[in-house]
Amino acid sequence: MVRLRSILLFILLFKSFGSIIIAEQSEEFSEALLLRPLPDRKVLAHFHFESKIPPTRTHGPHHSLFPKSIYQLVHKFRVREMELSFTQGRWNYGRWGGYDPISSRNAKPPGVELWASFDVPQHQVDASWRNLTHALSGLFCASINFLESSTAYSAPQWSFKSFTTNVRYGTLPREAVCTENLTPWLKLLPCRDKAGLSALMDRPSIYRGFYHSQRLHLVSNEFDLAEASSGMVLEQTLTVVLQPVTLGSGMTFGSIRQPSWSLSSLFGRKVSGRCVLSNTSNVYVQLEPNLVSELKSTSAMQQESDVKNLVSQAWSDMSFEMSDSPVRVIKEVYGFHKESSLLYEYSLANSSDSRPFDLEFRWKRPVTWSSQLAPLQASRFLMGSGNERGAIAISLKSVGRSEYTDSSDDEDGRCSLRVDVFQVVPWYVKVYYHTLKVYLDERLHSLADVIERTNVSPSEDKVSPGLMELALRLPCDVNSVILTLEFDKGFLHIDEYPPDANQGFDIPSALIRFPEIKTKLHLFEDKSSCKSPLLSKLQEESPILWYTEVLLVPLTTPDFSMPYNVITITCTVFALYFGSLLNALRRRVEEEERLLKNKATKDSSPIGVLLSKLSAKLRGKPLEPPKSSASSSKVSYKLILRVILVAGIAVAWQYFG
Amino acid sequence: MPVEGAPKDSTMAEISEAPISSSDPPNTMSEEASDFDPKTMRKTKPGLKRLFLTLTVFFSFLIALPFLLKSIEIYRAPLPFEDIDLLSSAMEKNPLRYPCQFRAVFINFDDITDKNELGLLINSNMQKLTSKVTPACGTCGNNYTVAVTVDSSSNCIHSESENVGKWQCGALNGFDKLNNDEDFDEYLESVLDSKNRKLYTVVVVKRNAEVRVVVGKYRHAWIVGEDSVEKAVENMAEIFVKVFVNGGKEEGSIRGEFMPVGADGKVVLSFSLLNSDPHDWVYDWDFQELDETLLAPVVDALRPVADISVESQVLYHTPKASFSYWDDKQGSYIFSTKDLPFFVNSNEWHLDTSTAAGGRSKVLHFVLYVPSAKECPLKLQFPNGEISMTNGFISPMWGGIIVWNPPVCSENLQVQHLPKHKISSEDLKKISEVFMGQLRQLFGLKSENHYVGAFATSVLLTSAKGFAEWELDVLSRHHTCFNLLQCGTTLGSLSRLVQSLPRMIIMDEIGKQVKYSLEAAKLSLSNVSLGYSDASAVSSRKARALAEDAFYHPSMMSVSYYSFEHCFAVYSPFFLPVSLHVLLAVIREWKRYKVENRKYLAWKAKLE
Repeated sequence: MVRLRSILLFILLFKSFGSIIIAEQSEEFSEALLLRPLPDRKVLAHFHFESKIPPTRTHGPHHSLFPKSIYQLVHKFRVREMELSFTQGRWNYGRWGGYDPISSRNAKPPGVELWASFDVPQHQVDASWRNLTHALSGLFCASINFLESSTAYSAPQWSFKSFTTNVRYGTLPREAVCTENLTPWLKLLPCRDKAGLSALMDRPSIYRGFYHSQRLHLVSNEFDLAEASSGMVLEQTLTVVLQPVTLGSGMTFGSIRQPSWSLSSLFGRKVSGRCVLSNTSNVYVQLEPNLVSELKSTSAMQQESDVKNLVSQAWSDMSFEMSDSPVRVIKEVYGFHKESSLLYEYSLANSSDSRPFDLEFRWKRPVTWSSQLAPLQASRFLMGSGNERGAIAISLKSVGRSEYTDSSDDEDGRCSLRVDVFQVVPWYVKVYYHTLKVYLDERLHSLADVIERTNVSPSEDKVSPGLMELALRLPCDVNSVILTLEFDKGFLHIDEYPPDANQGFDIPSALIRFPEIKTKLHLFEDKSSCKSPLLSKLQEESPILWYTEVLLVPLTTPDFSMPYNVITITCTVFALYFGSLLNALRRRVEEEERLLKNKATKDSSPIGVLLSKLSAKLRGKPLEPPKSSASSSKVSYKLILRVILVAGIAVAWQYFG
Repeated sequence: MPVEGAPKDSTMAEISEAPISSSDPPNTMSEEASDFDPKTMRKTKPGLKRLFLTLTVFFSFLIALPFLLKSIEIYRAPLPFEDIDLLSSAMEKNPLRYPCQFRAVFINFDDITDKNELGLLINSNMQKLTSKVTPACGTCGNNYTVAVTVDSSSNCIHSESENVGKWQCGALNGFDKLNNDEDFDEYLESVLDSKNRKLYTVVVVKRNAEVRVVVGKYRHAWIVGEDSVEKAVENMAEIFVKVFVNGGKEEGSIRGEFMPVGADGKVVLSFSLLNSDPHDWVYDWDFQELDETLLAPVVDALRPVADISVESQVLYHTPKASFSYWDDKQGSYIFSTKDLPFFVNSNEWHLDTSTAAGGRSKVLHFVLYVPSAKECPLKLQFPNGEISMTNGFISPMWGGIIVWNPPVCSENLQVQHLPKHKISSEDLKKISEVFMGQLRQLFGLKSENHYVGAFATSVLLTSAKGFAEWELDVLSRHHTCFNLLQCGTTLGSLSRLVQSLPRMIIMDEIGKQVKYSLEAAKLSLSNVSLGYSDASAVSSRKARALAEDAFYHPSMMSVSYYSFEHCFAVYSPFFLPVSLHVLLAVIREWKRYKVENRKYLAWKAKLE
């Protein structure tokens, strides 16, 4: 009996093991949507799709969910990691937050940003990059192929991404993002926008938003020789910030009042069921820590109810209510701080065509709060005027909170903050890196005190852009930091100007990175929360990033018809000179004088008189009475004949030439 | 300036009052003769200085003109236009003809004694068959030899064939398993050993049985049965001409010249499984198995013709674009042949072109369509009302589509809660067989396993590799032919393009590519006439690839057209006024010199 039991147990164990192994081996796809009310009456919607495949070594090259084109791309160019983002609008760090995992991962510079690291020998990286840009350009209907030229991309060493080599980074700030980029991106999803959460992506609604960032992040360690490779992970996210259309429910006193919203009012569509191919498909509503504490304090003021209300969905007591009750509520556990965010989870499993999922979020009382901000607020601007030289300034302003920097103490106990600055400048903006100046609290500071590490590769004309990587070590109590760099504006060859040269030239966003301050969502490490890839992604630590504004530098633009004008005027001058020289050489002075004398003795017709008068006037000589008459009438006759002849030739040329 | 000079114009001096010519030199003699008329005479020789000057300028301009033209000339690599025209016209007029070798073996025909007469008989029969058809590209035409062997119990006669391997008489004496085709095929192969020699053999065995014609997997066929010599010869000629040379194709099927092979000799077979509505059911397949067990031998077999790679994907939410209707009689939804052009839904079926394939590889799509619950089972109906056995169709040069009705749909249409299924391996095997037939059709071969001739129906043995040796020979010949045709047309259009744009820059590289392509094509042609089919296939592929490289060269694609108007606009501001000056100066000086010279001559005449 005991033996039988043990055998049974063994079989059970074996089975469970087997199932675990099988589960690890199979492809996975999941979808999730995270919604978050923003302090400035907008709503953040973050779509997250993730496809995973086990390594080719064990699973083979055929897949049923993973997009074929991406798999082939990875294998052809041996991509180890790649991120491509198409963004429209600028993430408002001040209002929408700069400290949470979503903003540090999904706030991207406007236009196209692409970076990739390759698993190829050093000398082949550039070739791989060039091929990859072309392939992606075809895949996403975008002009990513402009990143092919060596003036458009750079190779950051450490400030952009730690611990990766063979990285190439390029941006196209002026790339317009539209549906033609979204459609191929959707094609990579197994359900496209036919079913599941992606069905919400109504083009007019999502492009009407204030911020739109469509991102594709790919990690593969297919080419690692180590056995423990985890295959490929393709993460596709779409982050939009939308202004909800205010639902008319008597909520219009006071402009501070947050607008209520629902999925159908935000997107104009409802979700009619999940994508059947996805393992999980959840919708989350996230309340920011500051909002939660605000709600707590207001509810504490009004009634005796406390945090439990928030967790136990007793909507009636709350400042807001939601139309559906969540499957569960996930509370962030954050040891030292009172503030922690709340996540309400909804599952799409039960919704269908007849019962579409339409979450509604209604505010009942006015609430104001602010998002968590990054330790330093960065902005970048141009200084100087004229078309000759100028300066770039990057300013970092403290938000006046020190708790972020708690963990980053120096050896000698002084609190310090490390900031990495990554800046790529096109070659026609010739930056003088020796002119780098650092002002701490508006006082000039020596570079050696502040800068921990630098890597500068100056631009080479028409070959490579300038790259500057700086690691600053700042004291925690600093209020403002300003970095300035002077530059000369270069001249471009006439062929190198873009079609609308008078618009100016873009300097791509600089990246400010706080490598020591990591952000993540602190959730319980229980099994169920790990199942959702969105949550597990948000629980990964990531450094805080801040992309600055794109700068627009006006360069001297020539008049593009200038070369032809120069040709014409030079040729005319030469022709004049040559003609008069030739005439001077064959001139017979005495003969002409004799002729004039002869002429003077003859009469002339009225026309002749007039002509000679005119010529005399022009020459400034007194008029000699003409005498000859017969000649000039004949002359004029011949002249007319000749003019007619020339005109005839011209007409013939016009018609038959 | 010219206007100012008008009064002293020499033309006027010549015609009218001639006011000027009181002669050049200032020291005119005061005591001249009374008959000296200054208007018509002069005493000194007219000076040549100014004429010489203007002429020098004029001629130096003329001499400099070629240099100028040379300096502003755009670079055009010389292209051999005549050779290109020759090649394309040669490819159009006389299609490629390979020399073929045939061998006829008659066994147990005791009554035949004259092998030469037999050879002539076969020849004349083949002539009849070939003359009916216009010789297609890649066939033998009339360029063949037939060797005849008569092997009977009493004698063994060989016709005087030179290098053809001889049939060993009595080789079949001990073999009695004539009814088992597969075994006999293998046995014949071991006797004939046709692997290395492209020699096609038909063995006629006289026996007391019904006549049976079988074409083997290698390069031989056999006719077994009680048959007269004449009948056997007719059958034999048909097998030679229609099967071994033409590949058993009917006329009017896909034109043999088109081979779905890319310019780089690569073909990508892209298999897609389309679940038209995953809400009803989701089917997955074990493509790994299909790839390894069923496709790998085919890919291997076709290697001499094309370099084939295989890829797969599964797509969802892919409804078909055409309509289907319920048919009570069949108990299924029906789509008819006239709907086929609309079946492929290019909006929803994103059968992406492969990134792995280079720019010029050919992608052949093979689509397995799983209908949704509301159109299941879905069947293809022919115009005559029959239901298609394979439930699939091909689109030439694009690929093939199979509609596969899942087993659940013939059961009750109840929504299942676990809609994920896998296609069973038996079904997969059947599907792969249909795909194989479609692939054969796309390559221009028959998908059935018998050939209906005018005299007899022959059985075609199917190989596990999907393609028999003789079929591969046919494909290889057609491929060579197709490559050369493509090469000819590509080069022809290149030369027409280049000639039509006289100011287009042509890089040296293009010239080189065209040259090498022509060389490869010529080499291929000469190899064909010598009968080296493998070598000619290789060089024909090279010729086509080079021709397309030249045609699609990036420098040709870009706007490198420097127009004449542009050139004229740049140079005319200088040369137009200057040339006017120079020309007028020359004309005037020359006329003046003539006039003055006449005056001088007149004075001289007077003196004498």
